[in-house]
Amino acid sequence: MTSKQNGLIIFSLITLFLIPYSLFAQWDQQESHVDAQLLSEVKIVQPGGSFWVAVQLQMQDGWHTYWRNPGDSGLETTIDWELPEGFSASEINWPYPERIAEPPMVIYGYHDTIYLLTKISVNKDVAADQSVFLKAKISWLECEAVCIPGGAEIEVGLEVKNERMQINEKYTEIFANAHALLPIGSDGWKLQAVIEKNSLLIQAEAPTWFTGKPQKILFFPYSTNFINNVAEQTLSEQNRQFQLKIELAKMKPQIPDTIKGILVSESGWRGEGSEHAMEVIIPVSENLSSSAGIPLSGLNSVWLALLFSFLGGIILNLMPCVLPVLSIKIMGFVNQAHEERNKSWQHGMVFTLGVLVSFWVLAGVLLILKAGGAHLGWGFQLQSPAFLIVLSSFMFLFGLSMFGVFEIGTSLTAVGGKTQGKSGFGGSFISGITATIVATPCTAPFMGSALGFALTQPAWVSLMVFTFIGLGMSAPYVILTSIPAMLKFVPKPGRWMESMKQFMGFLLVATVVWLLWVLGIQAGSNVVVLVLFALLVTSIGGWIYGRWGHLAMPVRTRVISTTVAAILIIGANAYALANVEVYAVNSAQITQSNEGINWESYSEEAVQQAKLSGKPVFIDFTAAWCLSCQVNEKVAFSSEEVQNKFKELNIRTFKADWTSHDETITKALAGYGRNSVPLYVLYSGKEGSEPQLLPEIITPGIILDALKSLEYK
Amino acid sequence: MKHIILNVVVFIFFSLMLIQAAELDKRAPDFTLQDYNGKTYKLSDFKGKYVVLEWINFGCPFVQKHYNSGNMQTLQKKYTENGVIWLSICSSAEGKQGYYTAKELANIAKEQGVNSTAYLIDESGEVGKLYDAKTTPHMYIINPKGNLIYAGAIDDVRSTNVEDVKTAKNYVSSVLNDCLAGKMVESAATTPYGCSVKYK
Repeated sequence: MTSKQNGLIIFSLITLFLIPYSLFAQWDQQESHVDAQLLSEVKIVQPGGSFWVAVQLQMQDGWHTYWRNPGDSGLETTIDWELPEGFSASEINWPYPERIAEPPMVIYGYHDTIYLLTKISVNKDVAADQSVFLKAKISWLECEAVCIPGGAEIEVGLEVKNERMQINEKYTEIFANAHALLPIGSDGWKLQAVIEKNSLLIQAEAPTWFTGKPQKILFFPYSTNFINNVAEQTLSEQNRQFQLKIELAKMKPQIPDTIKGILVSESGWRGEGSEHAMEVIIPVSENLSSSAGIPLSGLNSVWLALLFSFLGGIILNLMPCVLPVLSIKIMGFVNQAHEERNKSWQHGMVFTLGVLVSFWVLAGVLLILKAGGAHLGWGFQLQSPAFLIVLSSFMFLFGLSMFGVFEIGTSLTAVGGKTQGKSGFGGSFISGITATIVATPCTAPFMGSALGFALTQPAWVSLMVFTFIGLGMSAPYVILTSIPAMLKFVPKPGRWMESMKQFMGFLLVATVVWLLWVLGIQAGSNVVVLVLFALLVTSIGGWIYGRWGHLAMPVRTRVISTTVAAILIIGANAYALANVEVYAVNSAQITQSNEGINWESYSEEAVQQAKLSGKPVFIDFTAAWCLSCQVNEKVAFSSEEVQNKFKELNIRTFKADWTSHDETITKALAGYGRNSVPLYVLYSGKEGSEPQLLPEIITPGIILDALKSLEYK
Repeated sequence: MKHIILNVVVFIFFSLMLIQAAELDKRAPDFTLQDYNGKTYKLSDFKGKYVVLEWINFGCPFVQKHYNSGNMQTLQKKYTENGVIWLSICSSAEGKQGYYTAKELANIAKEQGVNSTAYLIDESGEVGKLYDAKTTPHMYIINPKGNLIYAGAIDDVRSTNVEDVKTAKNYVSSVLNDCLAGKMVESAATTPYGCSVKYK
């Protein structure tokens, strides 16, 4: 054996011996268990625009990387950007993490594949027609049983051009899904945070539109050394509020002035199946009493709802559909004021009772149907042709009575055989009912959200809300009739009353025209003709009754004429009702393409597809019987500027017509936390996840503003 | 009867454990551990001296950052020369990362030039859990009265990059420097960073 060989053997032995201990160079050569890629949402960027890029981290089975707050151990992933001149990058938008238990520790991180989103903004001054590379240096810590620092330098190439940004279709779905994992804002949620002994209490009160039930909620703070990551977080619920109790870190927790982090709920923050994470930024309240105030503020929100219901009820009186009834009633008071002054407050009470009873009936029907699982919203009555027909002939008869064809009050007295002292009480009660019935089409657009809230509440709250709307609606009459001094200001009865009454008759006929138009859209023109014919016969009935049924006629004549009139009116309407189906045209055959906007009819699949295609999507939830919808459409969508913008931005427009009862649309509305129309929804297309809900009353300006937000995305 | 006694004993045992858990400004819980040579060390034996506890796992990149840069060895040398007791404690369970046999440890210590007073083996993880040690490194400082005055990270740059050692603010040395200079030191806690301790 030569000395050279000896040396080699010794060297080998030393090397062999040393291998297990030369740990310190080891991890540099260790194979990485995470693969990093840089994806861009667009292929072509425009100077002045902005777009999203995603760092895709694909982890092998069992390996994880960390969230922005890694928890008890570990290290957050970082991105260092190397961008061309004029490009800037936002902070990382983190998907919500998993709570990974590694007893006795808990860490916040991710398994499988995640996308870290960053928004890149391009300065206006960046030269067009060039190729650029976005480079990112990613560092992460990957852990399984052991931890290994990992890193990658990745890049993506783009074209800068002075044209509209071009989406990379390949990644549309990836970006849409990635955005869905980002926390949404806490708009509408009332949040409070209190430090109590060794715990943090977060209290959240759901907004009125929220119908879901938060489940298995976890709080993930952005800052470290704040909460005890290991301790269970306990959730308690009361009405629409929940409270999360979180133990603070054991050693000198660093309590920030403002709690920042995310709340993750298994069920979603905008209803079932929606985004699971919500970002919360809550200043810490010093006042501990607020945490004890759960039931109180829950009650407060009910009181508030009742107050608004009451005010809404008062305002309802001014709606075009209620105004005629109001004026009849006022005239009634004028009469009473000058004839039987001391009885007038009783009339006010009876009227109120009429209003309340009919509101209770409506609420009861809604609650029963809801309990039966039907998806109904306010204004649902107008989706029924039968209801429309009955309402039309009712209004028409009312109108005829205004014209003086026949008298209602006196005849009822006659029929009921009431004593003189109670004269007109029946009339007051009936006008209360009438007022409610004719008010319903107006309540739909006006009080949709309040009633939507009412229907999500326990039954007694719903009933209270309806009661207060009724009380509000009748409040002016009650006040007017209970304070005789007020009636002094009402002019004396005279010829003006007759003129006023007749004029109001025309308003009622106009309401009938509108109802028939709604009916026409639902069931076609043949049904309208059918109903018009029924109305003709109804008017003959009314005329016969008025001509020979009044008190001046002999009893025999009165009985015969009343019977004939009843047969004509009931018969004609019954015939119309029975034959609606025969004459009705399937509403699906009628598609509107007016207003220069190419409306497609709504279906869940079509909208889903349009969203995935990356185009912006606009959905108009409307109904023929919804007045504000019609006004909105006339005002906003007929604007040429709006129409051009829709075309220019290549927006897919869908019209969801809720004129007739439609389960899919009802469900879609519920998905946005609503149960009434109008509702306007705008999806930017590229971001995919969060739709923009426009206000209920829209103008061209509002739409243009909303569309503007799309242009640079 | 036997059961009741057993239950009571277990209950008292666990209560004691709860009482004992490390807390700032409180008496640091006492422990007894052996180093890789079999020599026994007892915390209370060092009363009257500053004691540093360093949770360690040579397989962890965060620990490697401070040993590859020579940072940890320098700190150990500097402060042990000033009378500070520096105990490196490894709570890795047998078979987990960072667990080594006595022979292997002797070699590593030599290769790395470890300057701590002792490298203690806590394979059961009991001492680690007593101090709620979460990461490696996780640093603790005990004053001559035996009270815990610091718990947390070694420095303020959470990374595995060796380069960061130069620019980072080292919490352990700033606390120890103040202590050794006779200044009043307020107890402090920071968030430790590193690998999780590889408990059983």
